[in-house]
Amino acid sequence: MMMNAAGQSTNAIDAKLVNTLMKAVMEVCGTMAGTQVTLKEVVPSLDYKPVGDISSVIGISGENGEGMLTLSFTEPMAGLLVGRLLGMAPEEICSEDMCDGIGELVNMVSGRAKTSLSEDSGTLYRLSLPSIIKGPGHEIGGRPKNCPFLFLVFEADGHSFVLQVTFRYF
Amino acid sequence: MMKVLIVDDSAVMRKVIIRELLKIGVEQANIQEAPDGLVGLEVASQNAFDLILMDWNMPGMLGIDVVRQLRGAGITTPIMMVTTEGEKTNVVTAIQAGANNYLVKPFTPEDFAAKVAQSTATKV
Repeated sequence: MMMNAAGQSTNAIDAKLVNTLMKAVMEVCGTMAGTQVTLKEVVPSLDYKPVGDISSVIGISGENGEGMLTLSFTEPMAGLLVGRLLGMAPEEICSEDMCDGIGELVNMVSGRAKTSLSEDSGTLYRLSLPSIIKGPGHEIGGRPKNCPFLFLVFEADGHSFVLQVTFRYF
Repeated sequence: MMKVLIVDDSAVMRKVIIRELLKIGVEQANIQEAPDGLVGLEVASQNAFDLILMDWNMPGMLGIDVVRQLRGAGITTPIMMVTTEGEKTNVVTAIQAGANNYLVKPFTPEDFAAKVAQSTATKV
């Protein structure tokens, strides 16, 4: 296993980061959208090609690492979460609010990861503003070359959604 | 009647915050919104509020810079940061810049109500 000067693995996602992200997804969905979420599976395979109808991507970078977090939802799952966030029925949500709400969810999840990475490393990590990808059945890809990655598959109310984590320490 | 300004680039987050403010008795007519830091700075400079709720990361001007500018202009309205920036160093930076309180997203309705009550009980 390759290690950097700080003793961090450079070819696998740090287990603590995965744990932080898993808890962050559960906390954000539970606290802000009143939705109980469970982790269904963790998939480290390149052959796994999940699809979504709406995704939000955020970049995270610091002095000793960089990565990308992508939350992808089907339309019904996104409607359920943003609807609960806003206290509205899914069919009442306009397209702008749907995109904005999904962006805020990934922003809050990423904020937790950023805090954890910053406090563990003693350096400040930064987040990009979230970008939204919308389109029925788009494939979730865009992994930087040679960058460790994982898919965390969550389940809520009979729907599943995916957090793709790509992160590497320098 | 408490007058509140919400400065946040997310329309959804502003709606969430408005819902929480209404729950604790703030009237809709007394809530104003600003979609970015520059507008927030202008609105806060020209109007009197009892509380400003300020996001940190916004396009155009960061919330922390709005806080610095408002304090530099002698505006003493209580300001509570409502942000995903959870690092202790950022909390210290915000307080040193003149923010009165700090709430990290995600937050519970109870946390929000308690922090609003704390914030309006203080003045710079």
